[in-house]
Amino acid sequence: MTAPAWLAEAGRWLEERVGLSQFVELGRHKQVPLHKHSVWYYMGGMTLFLFGIQVATGILLLLYYRPSEGEAFESVQFLMARVPFGWLIRSIHSWSANLLVFVLFLHMFSAFFLKAFRKPRELTWLTGVALMALMMGFGFSGYLLPWNTLAFFATQVGTEVAGRVPMVGEFALRLLRGGDQVTGGTLTRFYGIHVAILPALTTVILGVHLMLVQKHGMSVPPKIEAESERTGEPLRSHAFLPNFLIRDAIGWCAALGVLAGLAAVFPWELGVKADPFASAPAGIRPEWYFGWMFQSLKMLPPHILGFEGEVLGILAISAAGLVWFAVPFLDRSPKPGNRVSLAFVASGWLALVYMAVTTAMVYWPVKG
Amino acid sequence: MRPWLALTFLAVAGAAWSSAQEPKPVKAPEPPKIESTCISCHRQLSDAALEPTKHLDDVHFQRGLSCHDCHGGDPTKGGDDDPAAAHDERKGWGKPTRLQIPLFCAKCHADAAYMKKFNPATRVDQLSEYRTSVHGQRNAKGDDRTAVCVDCHGVHGIRTVKDPRSKVHPTQVADTCARCHNDSELMARYGLPTNQPGAYKTSVHARALYEKGDLSAPTCNDCHGSHGAAPPGLQTVAQVCGSCHTREGSLYRETEKKKPTLNLTPAIQCVVCHDNHAVQPPSDEMLGVGPKSTCTNCHQPDVPQYRSAERMGRSIQALSARLEEAHRLLDQAERAGIEVTADRFALRTGRDHLVEARVLVHAFDEERFLASVDEGAKSANAGVTAAERAFAELRQRRVGLVVSLAVIAAVIAGLVLKLREIERGPGLS
Repeated sequence: MTAPAWLAEAGRWLEERVGLSQFVELGRHKQVPLHKHSVWYYMGGMTLFLFGIQVATGILLLLYYRPSEGEAFESVQFLMARVPFGWLIRSIHSWSANLLVFVLFLHMFSAFFLKAFRKPRELTWLTGVALMALMMGFGFSGYLLPWNTLAFFATQVGTEVAGRVPMVGEFALRLLRGGDQVTGGTLTRFYGIHVAILPALTTVILGVHLMLVQKHGMSVPPKIEAESERTGEPLRSHAFLPNFLIRDAIGWCAALGVLAGLAAVFPWELGVKADPFASAPAGIRPEWYFGWMFQSLKMLPPHILGFEGEVLGILAISAAGLVWFAVPFLDRSPKPGNRVSLAFVASGWLALVYMAVTTAMVYWPVKG
Repeated sequence: MRPWLALTFLAVAGAAWSSAQEPKPVKAPEPPKIESTCISCHRQLSDAALEPTKHLDDVHFQRGLSCHDCHGGDPTKGGDDDPAAAHDERKGWGKPTRLQIPLFCAKCHADAAYMKKFNPATRVDQLSEYRTSVHGQRNAKGDDRTAVCVDCHGVHGIRTVKDPRSKVHPTQVADTCARCHNDSELMARYGLPTNQPGAYKTSVHARALYEKGDLSAPTCNDCHGSHGAAPPGLQTVAQVCGSCHTREGSLYRETEKKKPTLNLTPAIQCVVCHDNHAVQPPSDEMLGVGPKSTCTNCHQPDVPQYRSAERMGRSIQALSARLEEAHRLLDQAERAGIEVTADRFALRTGRDHLVEARVLVHAFDEERFLASVDEGAKSANAGVTAAERAFAELRQRRVGLVVSLAVIAAVIAGLVLKLREIERGPGLS
């Protein structure tokens, strides 16, 4: 099947001016390694795809959303009930946000366990961890925007936790809330953070991250590399374009199908409008990806050795975050058999199990 | 770097330590200290003579009054050696008889100048109100078996009405009244039944008071008056009930004026349909001609009022059922994920009309009643229509999902085929 003459002519016209063929050629030359862990290479693309969905649906939501205490809830309600496909756009935005964070965790932990952070990809890791923090920031700020009861009180609890950080807590609390309490001012502030500040930062860091991925290519796990060296057999690979990209696209289509199913069968709830004067309802909890931190702080005793348990907990979580960020500089010889490197792998599994168990405890609290 | 670390550690430790300190307990104020030989002597006695000394939290004692202020005598004299010096009749020692008690208490409680020293807002009309009551009238005629102040408020250990331990606290009043009104021997003297306290305990009012803890729910004195025969200024049963059920009361009074031919004597007011002590929650079945109807108690099938009751009953029950159906369908749609908050809110208008119609029953005006029911029915129908629209959208969503999943599956299949085609050639290196 050949393209119509007018289309071929248009292609030629565009090629003369843009030179798209060089990008296509670049893609054809770029090789993606093939081995038993190759499936994890698709997580980055999937995260990027879901981020694209977030941007597209977020822009559509912006057309109706009104970021004020008196109108936020009503505007989302109107969108859900009266705007054609408004319910679909919002539900996809909310479900996709959760899937994005989930896939991002898979991407990050796979990079960690497969030692993809090692030289020369330290900056790729750092920008990736920064992107994870930004995505969680998107989640935290976006959660409040519908201005419903659960979001209101969860934000109150979440910002209170930020306020407990020693030295800078009070400043952070006021910076986040725009005052002493969670009010309409907080909503406007979160809206600004959600649609302007975080997207701007993400654009820059994501650009650097993608550029670095292009520059260094896909990382091959040390074990696979060592095996290849030992046997003398070169690693198999396939072209990024079209082989890898088509597989990526199959995954994206599947993700789109999952999102469509979730949005149609379980549309994202709106809940009840926030009433700042009402008492907090039972069962307040943050989004699941903050669950492990929430549960950890909840489990701590009020005082540990005369110190406030919550403050110590926040310091411990912050320290763990710093260690995670600095992994490429701490695990410097990630070769098979290296003890330090193995300890990092074991710590990673422990962290994963801990996060899974504490998150489960948020949804299925232990009685007694 | 180290000094900074040390300073940070100290600051964090200081902040954490200071917030960990427990607040100091607040000390309760001590009761007034009143020197009296009455208390010191009676504490050494037993039974009835000892009993008054156990009530030092009595409201009078707490405000500075002591035994001799009611019983006379000389509390500075006496002691173990000479109790007669304290019990000096020349100094007014003694205790009032049951017939004297109302006047005795009124010596202070009817004295505005004296009482306002303790509470500027306090009432001083209890005696005059009491004299309007059957209790007070019989007492004035020399009947010492009827209730006097101490029967309700207690003799010693009197507490304020707001104190839940007080015999006249709303939660205690029915039991306090029951002490006499459940006494069949005593009530037989006056030809009164003794079923009122028991009947009251089964009423909607008692359930609100005891089960929901609603202290504004009526107990005996709210209808019968605290000291008088009825709450001040109220003459009829409709007025008494209408003091809380204001809209029903005013509609009833309007009817009295508009339809003077109706025989709305006090004997056939609210209590005819609602009972007096065992007032039950009203239901729509009370209206109409069904087995639970109260209309048919008076109106026989051959009168126009019977047919009117039939129409009213049928219409309000239909509205109630339609509203329930609309709520059920909207709940179902909401559980399926359709946003119906605005429709649910609009349905409140129907509920308001239903409540309005229930109240309008007391106007005995069928036209007015049916107008409200019709408005409610419009709202209920709109709710059902909204729910049906929601279900139609739900079906549309499911169809849309199936179609889009089919398209996605087709695209995936196409991509897989394309990939196979590519990889049959020299794709891998």
